[in-house]
Amino acid sequence: MTAATGALPRAAPLSALWRRRGVRKAATFYLLISPWILGFVFLSAIPLALAFLMSFTNYDGLNLDYVRLVGLDNYTRAFTDADAQHALGRTLVLMVAVVPTGLVVQLALALMLNQPIRLSPLFRTIFYLPYVIPVVAGAWVWKLFTDPTGGLLNALLGLITPDANIRWLVEYPTVVLALFTIWAGAGGGMVVFLAGLQGIPAEYREAAMIDGASGAQVTRYITLPLLTPVIFFNLVIGIIAALQILVQPMLLAPGIVGLGPGTVPPSDNYLYVVHGYITIFVHQLFGYGSALLWLLFLVVVALTFVLFKTSRRWVFYGVEP
Amino acid sequence: MTLAVRPRAPGRGVALALRYGPLLVAATAFTLPLFWVVVTSLKKQSEYNASPVVIVPPSPQWVNYELAVELADFARFAFNSIVLSSTYAVLVVLTSALVGFGFARHRAPGRDRLFAVVLATLMVPSLVQFVPQFVLFARLGLTNTYWPWVLWGLGGSPFAIFLFRQFFSSFPRELDDAAEVDGAGPLRIFSRIYLPNSGPAIAATAIFMFLWVWGDYLYPTLLLGVNNTTLAVRMANAYVDPRGNPLQTVTMAGVVLYVLPLVAFFAFAQRFIVRGIVTTGIKG
Repeated sequence: MTAATGALPRAAPLSALWRRRGVRKAATFYLLISPWILGFVFLSAIPLALAFLMSFTNYDGLNLDYVRLVGLDNYTRAFTDADAQHALGRTLVLMVAVVPTGLVVQLALALMLNQPIRLSPLFRTIFYLPYVIPVVAGAWVWKLFTDPTGGLLNALLGLITPDANIRWLVEYPTVVLALFTIWAGAGGGMVVFLAGLQGIPAEYREAAMIDGASGAQVTRYITLPLLTPVIFFNLVIGIIAALQILVQPMLLAPGIVGLGPGTVPPSDNYLYVVHGYITIFVHQLFGYGSALLWLLFLVVVALTFVLFKTSRRWVFYGVEP
Repeated sequence: MTLAVRPRAPGRGVALALRYGPLLVAATAFTLPLFWVVVTSLKKQSEYNASPVVIVPPSPQWVNYELAVELADFARFAFNSIVLSSTYAVLVVLTSALVGFGFARHRAPGRDRLFAVVLATLMVPSLVQFVPQFVLFARLGLTNTYWPWVLWGLGGSPFAIFLFRQFFSSFPRELDDAAEVDGAGPLRIFSRIYLPNSGPAIAATAIFMFLWVWGDYLYPTLLLGVNNTTLAVRMANAYVDPRGNPLQTVTMAGVVLYVLPLVAFFAFAQRFIVRGIVTTGIKG
């Protein structure tokens, strides 16, 4: 079009396009995020689509020759599978046991550490430590702690009742799993709560104090309402994580030697994703297992959506800077 | 005399008890299970389930630690873990920072929708994505290699992208403008201005990503073999005597060795990490 590009007519459209600021900016943006785009397409989108396709087949993970479409069979099976229903029930039980208690523990720890305290880095490290301890080590910690004879839990109970010989992992596996989960998750939530607490301007609390509010009242009427966005964040994360617990119950399965990979967890700890995992990697039912996991995905999305809807009623977004 | 100087001493005592009492109780509850691992790691195997319970081993068995290193071929698997974790951490921090920079600082049609997609991928249960990935990796001959972690690292992590995007958004735009006037391109601005000024965020993210692989049990179990697997898998059942009986005390020594570097590291870096999280701005 212009005189300068007349000499190279074929290059003109591209270079002219490139000279337009908006186009160049957009191209720069897409080049910068291209690693994520490639990763998203090849490691998320295509796998998800494949899982969806697989869920309508009888794929066994090995032989593509015998693959055939089975329509909605896998999905109807999921709704009649007694194991899946049992597993879903146990997952909900664990979620109800772990998520609210976990939030209260995380918040309580953060409130305690938000006071002027000596040695606060030490305390913070103590509460944060279980969060960074690898799951295999954590499983050993709790397997040992609740061991009928070598464990400290029964020894401590023995101080109260003479014959404390409880086989925790056999009789109360869900209690151990819940304690393990709360203990291991507390530090992560606590740090996020601490960050939230430090974001609340001190003047608000001081003003309330001057007006004669007690410490408890300040917490109840100033701190907690201002913290609801963080509570909401930790609630959503906690629920999504609780629905997907897999490795902990597998490792805590009361095997004879070591931790129990390959051993099926006791019925009480037979969670939904455990069922999916065993269906796929033990029974080689990749098709049916994918259907189970896709249903979980839909449940997670639906739950998150509902949580966000209800958040308008109780999450306080008043002081956005 | 002291009462005359501090007339409100009793009230202060109550306040201190209220402040430190619950804190000490919580700290004890959190530490007891770990304390017991350390105690058990120093017991003789015969003391493991002695009755009454041995609280302080009369002669600490440091030999358990030697056995833990020898029996599990600890050094080799620790090396595997370090190689795999650092490879992933370095790659994922670099790509996620670059992508986060793009989202924070460059406008383009569709940007906000794409960012919503980044956040949405956080909701996808990891096993749903992993099962087809597993099939693909097996077909491509990538099982039993470290390639899956390299690919995951190159693809970036949604969580890290989110952190970096939040973090970079707080940088003053004048820096970019000045550099642009001086003729610097986006990559140069990223590597000369943004990366050097992101120490805490990079450190915090790298630590988390390193830790994720160091602690992950599931993926190495499914993707790697007995020789090139990580310490996490090895620690699950490395310690048995020749007859197949569990060696609990040696196991606990192994667990301590597996966790100790992380503890030391975190005790040293925790202020750094908390600051990293605060400055990356997860405030809800």
